[in-house]
Formats: sequence, C-alpha cells, structure tokens
Amino acid sequence: MGDATESTVSGVQVQHGDHIDTIESVDFVFRAQRKLSFTYGAIFFAVTLGIPASSVWWKGWYATPIWGGFTANYLFVSLLYYIFLWAMAWTYSKQADKLDLTLEVMAEEIAAKAGKEG
Amino acid sequence: MNTIAIVLVVGLILFTIALSIFSRRFTRTTADFYLAGRKVGSFSNASAISGDYLSAASFLGVAGAVYASGLDGVWYAAGFAGGFMVVVLFIASALRRFGEYTVADFAFGRFGSNRIRLITVLAVLLTSLFYMAPQMFGAGTTWSVLVGKGIFGMDPYTSGVVVVTAIMAFYVGVGGMKGTTLNQIFQFWWLMFAMIMIVVFAFGNGFNYPQALADASKTPIVNTKSMTVADLTKPDAKTGKTPYDAAATIMTPAEMAKVDEVIAAGDTKAKVAVALPSKNKLHELRDQLFNEPGHRYNSFDQFSMVLALVLGTAGLPHILNRYYTNPSGAAARRSTFWVLVFIGTFYILAPIAGLAGIGFIKDYLANGGTIAAANVHGLLVKPDQIMPTLAEILGGQWLMGIVAAGAFAAMFSTIGGLLIAAASAIGHDVFEKYIDPNASERKRVIVGKSAVLFFALLAMGIGLAIPKFGLDQAYPALIAMMVTWAFAVGGSAFVPMLLTGIWWKGTTERGATAGIFVGLFGAIGIILMNILQTLGVIGKDGIIGFLGSLTFPVLFTFPLSLLTIIIVSKLDGELPKNVDQIWMRIHGTANERHEKQHGLDKVGTMFAKK
Repeated sequence: MGDATESTVSGVQVQHGDHIDTIESVDFVFRAQRKLSFTYGAIFFAVTLGIPASSVWWKGWYATPIWGGFTANYLFVSLLYYIFLWAMAWTYSKQADKLDLTLEVMAEEIAAKAGKEG
Repeated sequence: MNTIAIVLVVGLILFTIALSIFSRRFTRTTADFYLAGRKVGSFSNASAISGDYLSAASFLGVAGAVYASGLDGVWYAAGFAGGFMVVVLFIASALRRFGEYTVADFAFGRFGSNRIRLITVLAVLLTSLFYMAPQMFGAGTTWSVLVGKGIFGMDPYTSGVVVVTAIMAFYVGVGGMKGTTLNQIFQFWWLMFAMIMIVVFAFGNGFNYPQALADASKTPIVNTKSMTVADLTKPDAKTGKTPYDAAATIMTPAEMAKVDEVIAAGDTKAKVAVALPSKNKLHELRDQLFNEPGHRYNSFDQFSMVLALVLGTAGLPHILNRYYTNPSGAAARRSTFWVLVFIGTFYILAPIAGLAGIGFIKDYLANGGTIAAANVHGLLVKPDQIMPTLAEILGGQWLMGIVAAGAFAAMFSTIGGLLIAAASAIGHDVFEKYIDPNASERKRVIVGKSAVLFFALLAMGIGLAIPKFGLDQAYPALIAMMVTWAFAVGGSAFVPMLLTGIWWKGTTERGATAGIFVGLFGAIGIILMNILQTLGVIGKDGIIGFLGSLTFPVLFTFPLSLLTIIIVSKLDGELPKNVDQIWMRIHGTANERHEKQHGLDKVGTMFAKK
C-alpha cells in the first residue's frame, strides 16, 4: 500500500497524497472494466471450449489432414491457440491501461474542481 | 548417470545456493522476505512466475504425454497455458492493487473477519501440500532415473527426496523471496534453454514437423505397459482373452519370444514390458491415431480437463502471491502477458520434442543403438523418460546433462515458490496476526524461515510416504494426476472467492467463507474417494462411486463453491460497513498514482542497499 501518513479516507472518497478516487469515478471505471474483462472472458471461454466441442462433433476438424500430418485440430492446439492467447492478453492489457488513464483524468478533474471550491 | 550430467546438476545446485547467499544481504524485512520488496519488474516477474509454474510435470511430463498420447497430450499442454488468461482478465491487477502480502490478507481485507483469513490459510497450506507432493515424488523418481544410486545408505528414491528437500529448505530459508525470485528467473531460462536445445537438435538431425506427424499418424498408437506375469496371462471376464493375446497382435515374434522366456521362468510376480493396442475413447469406432483426439480423454474429459487446468491456475497460492511482488496493477497485467509468451513458447516446443522422440528413438533402436530407459517395440515403457533419452540420442552426454539440470531446475523453481507461499501463510498470516503481532522484524523473518523448514520437512514426509501407500503403482501417470488434484483444490477453494470478491460487491463474509469451505473440502473429499476407489477400498456403484470416478473434480466443485457464495450472500445480505472503501481499494488507482508521482513504483531496486 501507499504511504499511510499521506493517505486519508473519507466517506465516499479515498485520497493518497494529492490523488483522489471517488466512489462514483471508481464505479464508472469498474463497470467499463467489468465489460471489458467479461467480453474478453466470453471470447476466451468460447474458443477454449469450442476446441473440445469441435473435437467431439466436427469430423473435418479432427480427422482431415490439411498440412502433412496436421489436422486443423492439431495445428490449432499446438500452435495457433497460443497466438490467440498472446493477442488476447496484449490487446486486453492495452485497453485496461487506457481505462486506468480514464480514471486518472477523471480524478484530476475532481481534484481541480475541489481546489477551486477551496 | 554420465559425468557431464553430474557436473551440470551439481553446478546448478551450487549456483542456486550462491544466489541465495547473495540475496541474504538484501532480506531484512518481511516485505523483503515474502515479496522481494515489491520491486520486481514485469519481465523478471514473468520469468519467475514461469519458473514457479513450470514444474517437473511440465518439463518431463508434457513431452511424455504427447509421446504417449499424441493430440490429447498437446491439449493437456494448452490447458496449462490457458489458465493465465483467467488470471490476467479477472484477477491480476485487482489483487496487486489491493496490496498486502497473501491471498489470506485479501480475504481478510475484503471481508473483514478472522474466520475467513484462517480458513484461507488452511486452504493455502492444503493446496500447497497437494502441489508439493508431486514435486517431491518427481524429485525421487528423477533422481532414480538420472542418478540411479542412493547416498548415505538410502535408496535412490529416498535420496532424491531428501537431497531436494535439504537444498530447497536452505536456499528458500536463506534467500527469501528475493533469492527465490532470482533463482526462479535463472531456473526458468535454464529449462527453456534445455527445451530449445532439444528442439534445435531435432531439426538439426532432419526432423520435419508436418512429415513426422504424418508418419506417426499412419498406424494406430501403441501403448506400452510393464505388467506382472499374473496380470499378463489373466483372461478378461467378458472376452476371455488375455493381455498376452493382445500383445501378440502388436509385437514381433522375436519380441514375444522374450516375453515367453519370462513367463516360462515361472515367477508370476515377475514384471515384463509389453506393447498393447490402444482404444479411441472419444470416437470408439475409429482407430486411435496420433494426430486425433481420444487417447486419454473421452468426450466429458475433453472439456473437464481443460476447465480444471484453466480454472485451477488462478487458484495456485504460490502463483497468486507473486502478483503482490509487482510494483502496480498495470505491471501485474504486463507480467501475465509475458508469462503467456514464455510458457506458450515452452508449450509449443514440448510437443515437438514428444513427437520427435517417436521417430528418433525407434530409428536409433532399430539401428542397434541401446538406451538406459526400459523399452519395448521401439517405444519407451515410461513416457516421462522421453526428454533425457532423446537428449542423449540427439546430443550425447552434454545435451543429456543440460536436460538433467533442466529437470532439477523445474523442480527447484516450483518447490521454492510453494515453500514461500506456505511460509507466508504460517509466518505472516498466523504468527504475525495472531500469535505475536508486536514481534520485531528480525523475529518475524526468523519465524518465516522456521516455517520454510517446517513445511519442507512436512513435504519430505509426504514424498517418502507416497510409495509406501502404493499410489505410484495405482496411478500410471501419478505426477500429472497429483498436479491436477492441486489445481482442483486451489481452483475450487480460491477462485470462486476471488472472482466474486473482486467483481461482485454483494459478496458477504459468510458467503465467501461458506464457498471456500465447500470448494476446499468438496475437492479434497472427491480426490480421496478417487484414491480409495483406485486402491479398491470403495466400489464404483452409487453416488460415492460416481464421485470417486471424477478424474477432474473442479468441474463439479467450482460451480458448487460459486453457487454457495451467491446463495449464502443473497440470504445473508450483511455487507462490510466500509464496502465502498474496500471497493475503491480494489478498483481505484489513487494509490498507484501517488506512488508513481513519488517514484515509488520504480523497479530494478530489488537489490539496493538500505
């Protein structure tokens, strides 16, 4: 945690040094973060469970060689699945960083407003 | 064991000890001992997490699984990697932002009761023990295979368990999280180097991936098994045929003549290795080819295995603890991305090694070569021996030495993380909170080190007990099975609590406590029933028989725990009084901005003098 001597907590906001989070701004970003995480999560689980589903029911996926001995199933599980994971993790991290930035801008606006009001 | 391999393994051990002694100078506070001062950068942390995660089960077991089972072995590897997506999407940054030291701290801070902290501590210790058991068993078996001799009058298995325990207790106790982190970084890159070298040597010796896969898939997979003469000649109750009859359909007359010799000797307990036809568990009417699914998993297990690994990864306390060593939530996400790159690369390479082993070993034996590992019909009897065997064939003693050191590095790095997690549960969560809250920093660190020693001895006892209970005979792939159990316990106990605690404000303390309780003891209960069923103590009928047959209990216990949390929380409705502040602590960034402004988020000072 941060420097406790510079941190104060009030009813609806948290302050660490010059930096403030309000429950409203955190809730706003939380909802955006939740949407982002659960959207990516839905894609991840759809693909991850789609692989065994295809292995069970789609013969063209698991039994037809497409390159040497590679079936689509083998190629995806041994190589493409990892590329999918890397792309997901990278784009998700970038978008989550942007959300953090949104909260930062929002918090600075709140702090500036509070300063003007004295 | 060859001299070069001994030199490389001893060199690895000495280097490990030297790193710990170096780190000791920088371990003065509990934050240093448990969290490396929270100054580990994303790349370093990702390397350490990867070292933590890739145990002997991954280094030796994944290539072995692919060698023996083809595509189902590759799918097993993919499940391990997929688990980190759950971590990055739902847990990593929130856990780090919340701060603190351990998962139990998160539970206490989020829900505000000693009861939930203590049950979380219990869950951490039990999960760590479940994960430590296969590492200790791996230490004993790897020592038996690679060294082959005991020391101080002990048998090889016991020697492996005792030596690894002694080294681990020393280096974790002396170096703390900083020493463990440094060691895990080094150990991860060593085992990655070993895996890359195997694959490079395979391609250098003419391996062609698509062609080798086509060649391996021309005929059905052949299983190998070491059986007693009694079992080999026992007729099946339904078909009246014996395993001997089945082996005769696969093995050559010359190979069968050797089996006949053993049978003719008259010792019914004598063991003999045979090759047997395989069955396709997924598409029963199809031959089981290498490039098709179905050798290990039926349709239910194709789903349940991957869900067990994906959900279980986020419940491993030694992995979760590492997220607290990041300097910020964003850094925690970046660490996880790099973990996915590192372990993804590893899991792309391991199946190549497994596939390459089929052709190279068969050709080597066909051309009159000999190998130390037991083999039949051109195949290894124990697939877990594929890595050292392939290394010796492709690169001689040097490459085998590199792989042998890689196997020990994989065990050391995982055991190190588990010891730190268990020590923090005992030393930080119990001693510092309940026994002596006013203890000096020095005393706290001493207690942490004592906890490392205590837990290491406990793990050693379990490692030594496994063969005595006959578990190694009951389960053909015991290391992989025990790793899956650890994933099940952690995934059922922690992940529902973490997911609801982070993403649902309405989660109450009673709901979370009940969820942990149900998930933890539900998973352990099903695992015990599975063990008892496998040992023949309980039958396969009724509800107990059904539960005992569940190979991957997390598919059952995870939703049960989640539902328990939701239902009890709804019925309870008593939220913590300061729930808004807690919410802002999990999802707000004021603290991180403050640290950033004052340069407190900087990394690279893990070894700064104070």
